[in-house]
Amino acid sequence: MQLEATELTEAEMALQMEVREYLQQRLPAGTYEVGLGMAANNDVEFSKDLGAKGWLGMALPKEYGGGGRTAVERLIVVEELLAVGAPIGFHWVGDRQSGPSIAKHGTEEQKQAFLPGIASGELGFAIGMSEPDSGSDLASLRSRAEKIDGGWRINGTKIWTSGAYQATTILGLFRTSEHKHEGLTQFIIDRNVEGLTISPIPFIDGTRHFCELSFEDVFIPDERRLGEVGGGWAQNTGELVLERGGVDRWMSLMPILEWWAASDAVKNSPGAQADLGAIAARSWAFRGMNLAVARMVDDGKSPVTEAALIKEMATRFEQESLDTVARHYGRAPDLNSDDPHESLLARAILVSPSWSIRGGTNEILRTVIAKGLGK
Amino acid sequence: MTTTNDHTVDRDLIATVISLFAAKSGHDVVIKAEEEGLLPSLWASVSELGLPLVGIDDTAGGSGGTLLDLLAILHAAGQHAVPLPLSETHLAAWLLSEAGQQVSDGPMTVVPGTPKDTLALTDGVVSGRAYDVPWARGVDRIVALVNDSSGAPYVVTIDPGACEITPGTDLAGQPRDVIEVKDLAVEAVSSPVDRDGLLLRGALVTAAKMAGALETIATLTRGYTEERVQFGRPISKFQAVQQHVVTLFQMATMASLNVSRAGRTAMDGPASFEICALKQVVDKNASIAIRAAHQAHGAFGMTQEYRLQQLTRRLNAWRSEFGDELQLASRIGKAISNAGKLEHVIVGGSAVLEV
Repeated sequence: MQLEATELTEAEMALQMEVREYLQQRLPAGTYEVGLGMAANNDVEFSKDLGAKGWLGMALPKEYGGGGRTAVERLIVVEELLAVGAPIGFHWVGDRQSGPSIAKHGTEEQKQAFLPGIASGELGFAIGMSEPDSGSDLASLRSRAEKIDGGWRINGTKIWTSGAYQATTILGLFRTSEHKHEGLTQFIIDRNVEGLTISPIPFIDGTRHFCELSFEDVFIPDERRLGEVGGGWAQNTGELVLERGGVDRWMSLMPILEWWAASDAVKNSPGAQADLGAIAARSWAFRGMNLAVARMVDDGKSPVTEAALIKEMATRFEQESLDTVARHYGRAPDLNSDDPHESLLARAILVSPSWSIRGGTNEILRTVIAKGLGK
Repeated sequence: MTTTNDHTVDRDLIATVISLFAAKSGHDVVIKAEEEGLLPSLWASVSELGLPLVGIDDTAGGSGGTLLDLLAILHAAGQHAVPLPLSETHLAAWLLSEAGQQVSDGPMTVVPGTPKDTLALTDGVVSGRAYDVPWARGVDRIVALVNDSSGAPYVVTIDPGACEITPGTDLAGQPRDVIEVKDLAVEAVSSPVDRDGLLLRGALVTAAKMAGALETIATLTRGYTEERVQFGRPISKFQAVQQHVVTLFQMATMASLNVSRAGRTAMDGPASFEICALKQVVDKNASIAIRAAHQAHGAFGMTQEYRLQQLTRRLNAWRSEFGDELQLASRIGKAISNAGKLEHVIVGGSAVLEV
């Protein structure tokens, strides 16, 4: 296990400044609801504006409306978005993983049909993976796609799908044969397809981004199958690198940390300053690891073990950092407070246990890492 | 080799160094050094290759090479628990060369400078005490930064024979002495490096050794858990044990990568944030990793006859050298609290905020 040190080039630093300045104009403080990473609000207009700037679908090929840019450049944009808690909910999943996956595994027709919309911010994706009886254990998925004339008939239930209610498109993983791993296939599904019912499941903080998807004899034409029949497991593993290896796994909290770092509560407390310093140091260290992983992706590698290794500890770190801020807050924050920082802190306290679950629980990730280290 | 700012490492050299250390710094050698102090034959074998002076410009008498070469050598030394004052010699040579002095062969050490130290310079004469001086017994020269009455830093070289040395040891059983000089006439050269500059350089090289030691305790623990059979199967099959191994690789990977990152930044300009962050992180990782490694090894790893303790004791010793977790965290946090913009500092480093 070795990660190679890398730095930003001058062009990459110029991009960082450009994004930072744009966000200051586009999202002046107080004009939007600050969010926590990918759980942030949906704002289709904002997503389209980012698309117009060329900051969505950055790593997608240019001929499909993408930026033809690198994973590192995307990381730079994402850092700035997360730092201000921008409303990235609508485009997040498509930009991070569905787009790259379609670019890699999709047919020419699928690329033309979906990639331009992802890059422009008009398409919002959700991922239909987990099921009531299958959380991290995707090999046990039971929702089934059955081959019929001209396509597939899908039946079953997906659960814990973030953002599905507002999404335009679902990328789902379904069982197409009894083989544990080789029996899974991915499909690109229109959100309004007949037979699909999407029901929000009220989340622990009262929000309704989290959904259950019920498929009843949903017909999916074969042209909407992504990749080979039985190739879904491997494709999904590739997507999980993108889901696990990013700065978003520990930067959801950044707007809270930023506010806390500048507060008088920290200025006046040497103990809080020491805690802040430790958080800053570790954030710097994690950021270097994410940057190294992004460069590996740009070099055509698939750093599965590395991404899992980082995500496992980064999500714990994020939770510990939140504990630190909460400990220094001095009282229980109110979810309905008029002070947006206070309500955001309260929300973070409620949702933070999810950070080490989504994208694979830490317990499973440790097994993934242990296996990867043995190779 | 000449010193350049290019971010490459001399991979052939590092491969040679790693096999040399692997061959020369086995378990028994480390035990012997713990009993006898600096082993002249071991020093000679690294000195022949010019290793102690890598990272010091050849025009100053050094071996040339980049800071990254030096960090890679110290990383390898940490991996093999090499019982020599390599980083200390580097720091001494670095202070001398920065002050325009020529360096020469032979083991050296540096006075790290503690709040208790009383060394003072008056008209070319040094008097006073210095604490926690590593390897003072056994080196050819002791180099110290000493302030004159105006507070300006000077580099002085002290002959160990001219000191009263009170022997002590660090947690790894390595020499860490108190030195005392009385009215010693020295050549004092004005130093462009102040105490904080020495602290940062010391933190960087210490973190490199620690990252190396972390790598070894990770691989050692993985190997042990794959061989050790309990309850009828290798303990690596138990998820609870796997978690310790995963933790160890996390701590080591994070440390090694960031040593290189901080080193690169230091080659290009100010790096106070990166170096403080690095050492703070590595100190913390060491405390987590030491526990995980010993826990996975069970009682076996607690004995002196087994290699693990040679590395975990070094990690414990180095954790408190050139800044500890709390000092470094406080320094970073105070600077950010005053200046603001946490995320800009995390992604921009010392170019945004020196701490």
